[in-house]
Amino acid sequence: MKELVLKKTVFSYQGHSFSHDVYTCPQCGKVLIPKELAEGRIAKVEEQLEDK
Amino acid sequence: MKMEDATRFTERCINGEPASCSCACPFHLDMRSFLSKTAKGRWNAAYKELRNAVMFPVIVAALCDAPCRGRCQRTIIGDEAIDLPEIESAVIKYANNRKPESYFIPPKTKSVAVIGAGVSGLSCALNLSHKKYSVTVFEKENGWGGRLHAETGRLGTEGGNFSTETDSSGRHASFKDFDDDIALQFSVIDNVEFKYNTEIKSLDELNDFDAVYIATGAGGESFGLIDSWDSELLTTSSPKVFMGGMLCGVSLMEAISHGIELSRTMEVFLQTGKAFTAHSFDRINCGRYLDHSDAVSSPIIKASLDDGYTEEEAKQEAGRCLQCDCEKCIDACEMLKLFNKKPKRIASDVFTDAGSSTLASRTLTRETYSCNICGYCKSICPEDVDIGALLQFSRVSRLNSGKYPAALHDFWLREMDFATTEGFFASAPKGKEKAAYAFFPGCRLGASNPDHVLKAYEYLHNKYDAGIILDCCGVPAYWAGDDDRLNENLEKVRDSWKSMGGPVLIFACASCEHVFRMFLPEVKFVSLYELLSDEEGIVSLKIYPEAAVFDPCAARYDDGMQSGVRKIAVRSGIEIEELKEKNRCCGFGGHMQVANPSLYNEIIQNRIGASEKPYIVYCTNCREVFVSKNKQCVHILDIAFGLNLEQKVPSLQKKRNNSLEVKKILMKEYHNTDFNPETYEWEELKLIISEEIQESMEKKLISEADLKEAIFLAESFGDKFIDESGRMNLCSLVKPVVTYWVQYKTVSPEVYEIFSVYYHRMRFHKDR
Repeated sequence: MKELVLKKTVFSYQGHSFSHDVYTCPQCGKVLIPKELAEGRIAKVEEQLEDK
Repeated sequence: MKMEDATRFTERCINGEPASCSCACPFHLDMRSFLSKTAKGRWNAAYKELRNAVMFPVIVAALCDAPCRGRCQRTIIGDEAIDLPEIESAVIKYANNRKPESYFIPPKTKSVAVIGAGVSGLSCALNLSHKKYSVTVFEKENGWGGRLHAETGRLGTEGGNFSTETDSSGRHASFKDFDDDIALQFSVIDNVEFKYNTEIKSLDELNDFDAVYIATGAGGESFGLIDSWDSELLTTSSPKVFMGGMLCGVSLMEAISHGIELSRTMEVFLQTGKAFTAHSFDRINCGRYLDHSDAVSSPIIKASLDDGYTEEEAKQEAGRCLQCDCEKCIDACEMLKLFNKKPKRIASDVFTDAGSSTLASRTLTRETYSCNICGYCKSICPEDVDIGALLQFSRVSRLNSGKYPAALHDFWLREMDFATTEGFFASAPKGKEKAAYAFFPGCRLGASNPDHVLKAYEYLHNKYDAGIILDCCGVPAYWAGDDDRLNENLEKVRDSWKSMGGPVLIFACASCEHVFRMFLPEVKFVSLYELLSDEEGIVSLKIYPEAAVFDPCAARYDDGMQSGVRKIAVRSGIEIEELKEKNRCCGFGGHMQVANPSLYNEIIQNRIGASEKPYIVYCTNCREVFVSKNKQCVHILDIAFGLNLEQKVPSLQKKRNNSLEVKKILMKEYHNTDFNPETYEWEELKLIISEEIQESMEKKLISEADLKEAIFLAESFGDKFIDESGRMNLCSLVKPVVTYWVQYKTVSPEVYEIFSVYYHRMRFHKDR
């Protein structure tokens, strides 16, 4: 088991992409999206990108 | 997309069109705007609006016989018409800035001759001089005013329905006032030359002018052109010579209006060499009245001063204007109200949206996918304008151009896939290959309550020797704007129907029926409720003493279905209440729940609030929507077959299981075959889910199967996060459109307790 590290990760939706620092497994690169991020900022950005 | 492809949906919309009074007005005054400014006491703005429309406000206020009053829609609710002449006089009285505007426009090289300094000639000359044409007015008398001036004492008998002494309302009209008004309007003009005491005997005298307006008044000289006069364009057989006013037999007000209209036509002629009207007045819709059944009666305000209204009285009288403009759809539809755009604007946005990324798209995406596509707007529109059809068109166009937010419809398209594959079953009646009738219950009926399908089919099989088709009509693809998927499904449905010998389909779901009506017109159908209503043998259950029937939007045009449901309910002894607004969408239509959750909730609450009584519904979606918000509600099949009154809506997973169970029972009972649904390794897992989490999953449209799959894969491959305690796990499941996350603890092998479930639509890219 490895401790997670903050890492710049590329997100994409509706043909737009951008990067954001999220906790990532240093070994396998798997990204962790916590509930607060998914239902907060991500949901808001998703809505904005859908409306573009 | 061409502009017309979108605007054709709203071309008949009358929103923003002139009100009946404006159509009747010789000057086409925008009454709504004029009276709303007056009602607010914006005297200068109201005066400007009046002056720009009529040119000589004092003359018109005093002498117009106000045909608008005969077309005032206040009269259809029994009130007196708005007193426009009195209001006009008040506006003139209380406006403290009546000075005409002068514009800095370069002088034009073309020149115009006007024969006659009466009101028609003057209004034409004034308008053209504002546009900086050089105008010369020839008048045989020694001053302007024409008929006003020359026949002051006799106008009451010859000139129109007015008198220069006093008119019927007691307004005083003296030539001095008119003279002042004309002088005021010409006070900023320096490019008009008045040649008095100059009688034009032949048009040859005016050869140097580029255009000529003959406005010589009643009985005046027409230079032999009167027989060639065109009453629409005010042209004559001589290309540059125009004619109008009282010479042509019109009233004094129409004479002023002729001058105004002609100035526009003449300008087009001077610029292009051809006379045509760039802008024509709508004079034919004077009788287009709107529905004012909700309007409150308001008595006319009488003037308390000798010279008319006080300011307050004028404001109050103007405030009586009903502001007649059709906004029926916007008033009735929560979605249209929320986005607050007029129908024609929406059509124009749909067109601009089809181009590259624009500002219009930003608001249109949410709007397009927030519509219930329920057709209510069309049903109440006096012109049958269907905004839902426009936004459906937008959905199709967006999908085809890649502007489709897949997440908004993904859940239901997956449900459709399930219903058309694992959930699909078609069979002729027991032991036969063809059927005269076949029951098409729709995918939601059995999912929500298996008994609804099983009991209904038992009855139909015995009574009508009916076959059965368990399938999805394709409405999820329709609402997603996915024409290809819809058509593919329609082909498949058509094949099932044909292979059963083309039976008459018996529908329980109004939405299915609606889809067939639109896309498979060759299929004959009848409503299950219509058949049941004639069945005396069925003992229906009086569940409530009284209830309101909530008709689904899709059943709007099926009288048989609507009356069948009522017959069944009445036979059970339930006293029926009719809702004021019929066939409203419960909120489910158009699958707009994900696109606009708050609007979705608002719509449901409004529908629930339509009656305090319990609802009788006959659409499974209506039932689930209402029950989920704790509205007492029963499906008509519960009444018809006396079924148990389980009020709870099954979970998403349970609904799928129900569908498979229905299929399994039907296959065994009527086909004598076993059905072994496809199984997945994760199905054996047991999940412990609290009520609170279950409720949030239903709202987010996350099913238990997705959780099981996520946990199974995480546990099988160790693909998960573990917290510091080492007990709490977090895993994700990436589906084509949505990524799910599950937080869980292992209780025992294959038993997991769920602590949190959420999802996002965005993709992240793993970077090693």
